[in-house]
Amino acid sequence: MLSIEFIFLPFLGCLLIVLINVYFGIHVIKREIIFIDIALASIAALGSAVGMVLFESISVDHSHEGHGFFPYLFSLGFISIASFAFTLLKHKKISIPLEAIIGIAYAVATTLTVIILDKGAGGDVHVHDMLVGTILWISGHQLTRLALVVTIVGVFHIIYRKKFMSLTESFHNHDNKINRHMLWDFLFYFSFGLVVVEAVNIAGILTVFAFLILPASLSVILKGNWTTKLIVGWVAGVTASFAGLLFSLKLDVPSAPVIITLLGIILLLGYLLYKISNNKKPVKETSET
Amino acid sequence: MGTLLFLAPPIVACIILAGILSYFGNHILSRGIIFIDIAVAQIAALGTMIGILLGFAENSANAQIVSYAFTIIILGIFSFMKVKNQVLPQEAIIGIFYCIALGMALLLAEKIPGGSNYITKTITGNVLWVTWKSVLYCLLIFIPVIIVNLVMGNIIKKVSHGELAGNSMSRTRIYDLVFYITFGIVIVKSVPVMGIFLVFMLLIGPASISRIFVRSWTGRIIWGWIIGAAGSLLGIYISYSMNISNGPAIVSLIGIATYIAAFTKLYMKRADKNILTTN
Repeated sequence: MLSIEFIFLPFLGCLLIVLINVYFGIHVIKREIIFIDIALASIAALGSAVGMVLFESISVDHSHEGHGFFPYLFSLGFISIASFAFTLLKHKKISIPLEAIIGIAYAVATTLTVIILDKGAGGDVHVHDMLVGTILWISGHQLTRLALVVTIVGVFHIIYRKKFMSLTESFHNHDNKINRHMLWDFLFYFSFGLVVVEAVNIAGILTVFAFLILPASLSVILKGNWTTKLIVGWVAGVTASFAGLLFSLKLDVPSAPVIITLLGIILLLGYLLYKISNNKKPVKETSET
Repeated sequence: MGTLLFLAPPIVACIILAGILSYFGNHILSRGIIFIDIAVAQIAALGTMIGILLGFAENSANAQIVSYAFTIIILGIFSFMKVKNQVLPQEAIIGIFYCIALGMALLLAEKIPGGSNYITKTITGNVLWVTWKSVLYCLLIFIPVIIVNLVMGNIIKKVSHGELAGNSMSRTRIYDLVFYITFGIVIVKSVPVMGIFLVFMLLIGPASISRIFVRSWTGRIIWGWIIGAAGSLLGIYISYSMNISNGPAIVSLIGIATYIAAFTKLYMKRADKNILTTN
């Protein structure tokens, strides 16, 4: 029973991330901007690196007061600049996919971070930690922060859900709707960025990305409205994270790869089940299409 | 003169790669599968790790063969997952592949001494370490790739734009497979030398700039090549004179240039529109 207690906090963390990321995942897949989460995470990392360097140079006495707050402020600033750029550059006059623009931001942010932190030793370890995260060692403080951000962003998106959904549904139309609702588009990226910063801090880039894409992919494959999709994604995500944390503890392997593998298996099984059940009633499928 | 000789192989390597990656970059932008090269690099790294677990030495031919075979199998699966009425975008499938490959690599890293090195190894690279020997070696491998793509160029172009006559899925998939395998070879060969971000940027950045401004297909490829080569040269010069790493310098330079180009176009087009409406 001890193990259950031990994974209680990490599981709560996963639960919160799954709750919000499945919702964002469906948006992101529909918009075809899959790698936005990794891009925003690296932009935030660049922001906090810049903030850290500036903070070190400003504070003469090297006191650690405000340490952490200043870099956080910078990462928020960088995220809002990036969100604003993504909003502006989603324009029918720009003949390249937004994902390309996001990808370029990702590459530049990561390499600039490397340049800034060049002098710091142990860069490899840092990269590894950023990828995998340490969700098993989540602290109560981290969990509270995550819960706060998820609640604020979640409530905001519940209230204005129709707005965000209709924006995403018309994302690839050429009717300029997205350009008439720039503020909402900006708020979409920025609120997602807020979640990504907290989630990546706890679970690492890779796990957060997995929670974003894999359960939502399953729910996008299975047809249905937003509510069904959300429920399918949540069930898949929660199951995988609970089983994954338990396995990782019992077998003494890192949790991130186990959770990802389980998510992959669930996705594959779900897809196969869907294929089989669809093949049984081909008449219905043709009538649908 | 000494520095120039020292810099010659990396410069030649950058110019060659800028050309071939500009070609593939334009295809990739048309297909909307931006992150394929990062995914392919990750899959190849996983393949190498599998080779090492099978008992081959890291740089041995056997480990390389395992890595290539593994990559080709995955690319085959990927090209067969393209269906007519795609519900899940291909970019999402790439994301899933990338995620699982990286997860697997992390799991295998536990089994190999110093295994986590293989994960981060692909991230960095140094253009300055390029020698004439590796330039020649890369060229030898790229020549068949170039020939295949010259011969089948028109059909592959049609497939990339989704306008293959008849729209037969099995034919599309075969050409897709040819495209992905040749692309995979270039990526697997160039990433260890140049680093994943430099390859990614030479692939996406110059092609994006030329795509924003140029309409014709050939024009886009040639302009992409020119922009990529010029960006690399300038980046190497900046990194040399400011004493920062060359890869990040080139990446940042081309990346920022792409943003400037995109915003210029945004502004320019508005002006164009005004002219059109006043006419």
